Amino acid sequence: MMEYMTTTAHMSTGDRHRTGSPVVSFTNVSKSFGDVRAVSELDLQLRAGETVALLGPNGAGKSSTLDLLLGLRNPDAGRVEVFGTTPQQAIARGKVGAMLQSGGLMEDVKVRELVKLACDLHPRAYPVDQVLEHADLRDIADRMVNKLSGGQEQRVRFALATAGANELVVLDEPTTGMDVSARQAFWGVMRAQARAGRAILFATHYLEEADAIADRVIVLHRGRVIADGSAAEIKAKAGARRIVFDLDGYIGEGALRELPFLSSLEISGRTVRIQSHDADATVHALYGLGLYPRNLEVAGLGLEQAFIAITDAATAEEAAK
Amino acid sequence: MNTLIKLEIQRTLRNKKFMFFSVLYPAGLYLLIAGGASSTELVKGTDLTLPLLMMVSMASFGAITAVLVGNSERIAKEREKGWVRQLRLTALPGRGYVTAKVASAAVVSLPSILVVFLIAALVKDVRFDAAWQWFALTGAIWAGSIVFAALGVAVGYLATGDAVRPITFIIYFGLSILGGLWMPITTFPKWLQDVAEWMPTHAYAALGQSIELGNGPEVKDVAVLVAYLVIFGGAAAWLYRKDTRKA
Repeated sequence: MMEYMTTTAHMSTGDRHRTGSPVVSFTNVSKSFGDVRAVSELDLQLRAGETVALLGPNGAGKSSTLDLLLGLRNPDAGRVEVFGTTPQQAIARGKVGAMLQSGGLMEDVKVRELVKLACDLHPRAYPVDQVLEHADLRDIADRMVNKLSGGQEQRVRFALATAGANELVVLDEPTTGMDVSARQAFWGVMRAQARAGRAILFATHYLEEADAIADRVIVLHRGRVIADGSAAEIKAKAGARRIVFDLDGYIGEGALRELPFLSSLEISGRTVRIQSHDADATVHALYGLGLYPRNLEVAGLGLEQAFIAITDAATAEEAAK
Repeated sequence: MNTLIKLEIQRTLRNKKFMFFSVLYPAGLYLLIAGGASSTELVKGTDLTLPLLMMVSMASFGAITAVLVGNSERIAKEREKGWVRQLRLTALPGRGYVTAKVASAAVVSLPSILVVFLIAALVKDVRFDAAWQWFALTGAIWAGSIVFAALGVAVGYLATGDAVRPITFIIYFGLSILGGLWMPITTFPKWLQDVAEWMPTHAYAALGQSIELGNGPEVKDVAVLVAYLVIFGGAAAWLYRKDTRKA
């Protein structure tokens, strides 16, 4: 527990976005389903204006965390507060808009009728036409909901989640089923919402989305936060940059292993692949060995690789206990 | 809330199959059973002719179809598909969903009652001594349908998926036949009559039959209906809360 707290503190150099009182606050929250501990002593705070990505492998507790945040489930222990009240109250006041994977739609009604319903139910609703426009639903407003494609349904869900002036928007895998252009349009709207001061929390499988859109990334693993910071910080935490080069002649593996800041080494044929915590120092030492690396490439790890590295490390750590 | 009720009514009216079964089917069944029957001869064991007796039975049957079958299947399906969950993320108060379902079912059940009355009056020349009897009859059958609306909500929260339709239909046909909606219970063997007398459907139809005779409703029938309303309503509320906790 303490270790995690210090990690978080260390990771928080990207604090520039975090101002004001917490929008969401999880205090020591746990939730089990039978023997499975979905959320374990989770502490989490979101602030106004933050765009936060929730990452984690399947079963990491993302959906359970969102359910708790939205009051669809109650925690076994700990406290969940949204805008200083219970999630249910915050939702009743129209402060939270949410788009869930599991959220179904009413059938036998037209898209416009359903969106109008969402607007009528929202205490600070936007005009129906504006909501339709933003969700790119104008062309299919008169279509029956049960006749839509998966991507169109997803846009309807998005419209329902943004029918009024929410202060927090929660999205669970929002772009699943959308094509590339719909996805871009979707994030365009979300960016505008973020600029207007909304907090946005989204769970995603698309790591490039987290990388490109979120100014804070939280990695969950078995119901715990194992990393929390900007995408760049997460990548740095995972260790590392990637160094790839070819060597002619004899490759002394032993010498390469002695390189400083090395976190992994892989040799296939003439090609050497290295992950290093400090690529500059490693490359410097490489030349120091008198080697002449050809086709040298130094690149940052993608968030995806970083993510895998972090979750693998967490799994190994747990196994060691 | 009003938008939700309006939308629920609209989509039900759009559902042609459902409208057929709740509005036209009972009227058709009325013609089938009472169409050729005598308008003067009393049904054995009652003070009513078959056209009069069946008018109440079929109006009750139509109202039950509208509120029980419609609600149970819709609720079960919408729970499964996550629409109920989605609605919980709006500012709609918790019980709004069920309230809207019951309210819209009540609106749809009215035509089922009126169409049977209309057919009975036109085809079988059913008339009453006093005009109030028509209004009282409509009011009693309409108000009584709340008992079955509660049952529909309970079944909708009890069953899911493939199970909900057979469960609904067993209850629906079981109650309709046992309560004497399809044929007078006086045609049943004695032991079945004893069972039938305690069916909510029997008390429901008996309400209308007393009005047809120019009497007020019997205390026993009202008591039976109220008891069932408490049972069904309590079950619906309990199942609803259980579902909300785990949804």
